Amino acid sequence: MDPDVLEFLAEKQRVNIIPTINSNVIHLISGDVGPFRAGLPVQVPLWMAVNLKQQQKCKIQAPDWMDVDVLETIKDREKVSRNFIKMPSEHYMVEAKLLLSAAPDDIPRTDEIRTIIKDIWDMRMSKLRASVDSMMKESGSYAAVDNLTIMEINSIRPILPHALDQLYRLKKAARMHGSTQSQNTTTFNSRLTITPFKS
Amino acid sequence: MDDSMGEQFDDSDLNITEEVAAPTTQDFGLDDINTSDTEALTASQVIELMESAWLNEKFSPEILPHKTEIVDCLLGQISYMEENLENLESNDFQKSLHQMETYRLRYLVTSYLRIRLEKIEMFNYEILKQEEVREEKNEESYLSAGELQFAKEYKENLEQHFDNVLSFWPGLPPDDWKKEYIKPNLHSFVFLKSKTEIEGVIIDDGNEEDGDLVDFKNGSQMIISYNSVSNLVKKGDVQLI
Repeated sequence: MDPDVLEFLAEKQRVNIIPTINSNVIHLISGDVGPFRAGLPVQVPLWMAVNLKQQQKCKIQAPDWMDVDVLETIKDREKVSRNFIKMPSEHYMVEAKLLLSAAPDDIPRTDEIRTIIKDIWDMRMSKLRASVDSMMKESGSYAAVDNLTIMEINSIRPILPHALDQLYRLKKAARMHGSTQSQNTTTFNSRLTITPFKS
Repeated sequence: MDDSMGEQFDDSDLNITEEVAAPTTQDFGLDDINTSDTEALTASQVIELMESAWLNEKFSPEILPHKTEIVDCLLGQISYMEENLENLESNDFQKSLHQMETYRLRYLVTSYLRIRLEKIEMFNYEILKQEEVREEKNEESYLSAGELQFAKEYKENLEQHFDNVLSFWPGLPPDDWKKEYIKPNLHSFVFLKSKTEIEGVIIDDGNEEDGDLVDFKNGSQMIISYNSVSNLVKKGDVQLI
């Protein structure tokens, strides 16, 4: 999946903004938003928050988890846990990227937040690579990927599904070969060593 | 369409709509949409169904049953909104937001339809053959009327093109390309999220005749071969991600 598409998916996530303008309720197709009263927080989709911020019509309130202390706790839990822990947001990377770049002046300690999120991401990715590696070695044919966020899943696509598909083909070929060739493993092995360009 | 717009406007409190929308969409399995009246859904539920159909179509190797009702309903909402927008002044603060939303929804619908067209072009022979089988068995067609027409015309043009080119072939023109058509790889691996509790999904692992059995918990995520779960995808019990 294209990273743009990931961003598109994440942009329907809701965030709180503090508008600097007044407006009535906006009747969007996806639901009503507002009313906007200057200074009063209101919940809007992420895409709208970024757009309004660019027009300087609002301040963005960082989501609860986008806070140095909360993220440190998550980082520590991720460090001690063998499995992936549940992230506070399904789209934490996209949200962080969009909000931190659109509204660095509204969110305190942006640099620290960026570093911690990157640390968490790196930790999870190395866990992910290790588990993909062991899955291939055990030649598993299915696996639970609980608590992985969409972006993390996307990072092992298409390599993992393709690798599993090749593995499946090899297994199937070996099985078909075994049943038709009356279990003659020596021919099977010798056939494998023939280089295709020799003849 | 006007009726459902009115209905949506009645939900004045956004938070309530959101909270209600999430659980009820789970109750409406994707299957039900064909039998139940689409107009009874709120616009935001239609969008959720569209998103879910879009992602399923994106990640499934084969073409899935069409969702014309959802597409038509959403397109209706979009054009209704666009008509209304023409009456607004161009410097209206709300206009740009409405416009952005319609662009986003249009992208959703067009991307979904494009993916289907790509599949129809790629697996043309296979899809048309399966449609014929379905027609014989009196089953619901996977392609919409327009898509079926496109598929047939595409096939005709393709064959005509090959015939034209191969008329220069010395001797009997080869017709292998008609027999060796492209089929989707149903064993390919997909990521999914379960929407409900499902027990005893049989895994086809290529090793033995009977593979392992797996249970899905509600909300659990898996990587698994598509043919193990294709019926669950079509029923709407799992969401491809």
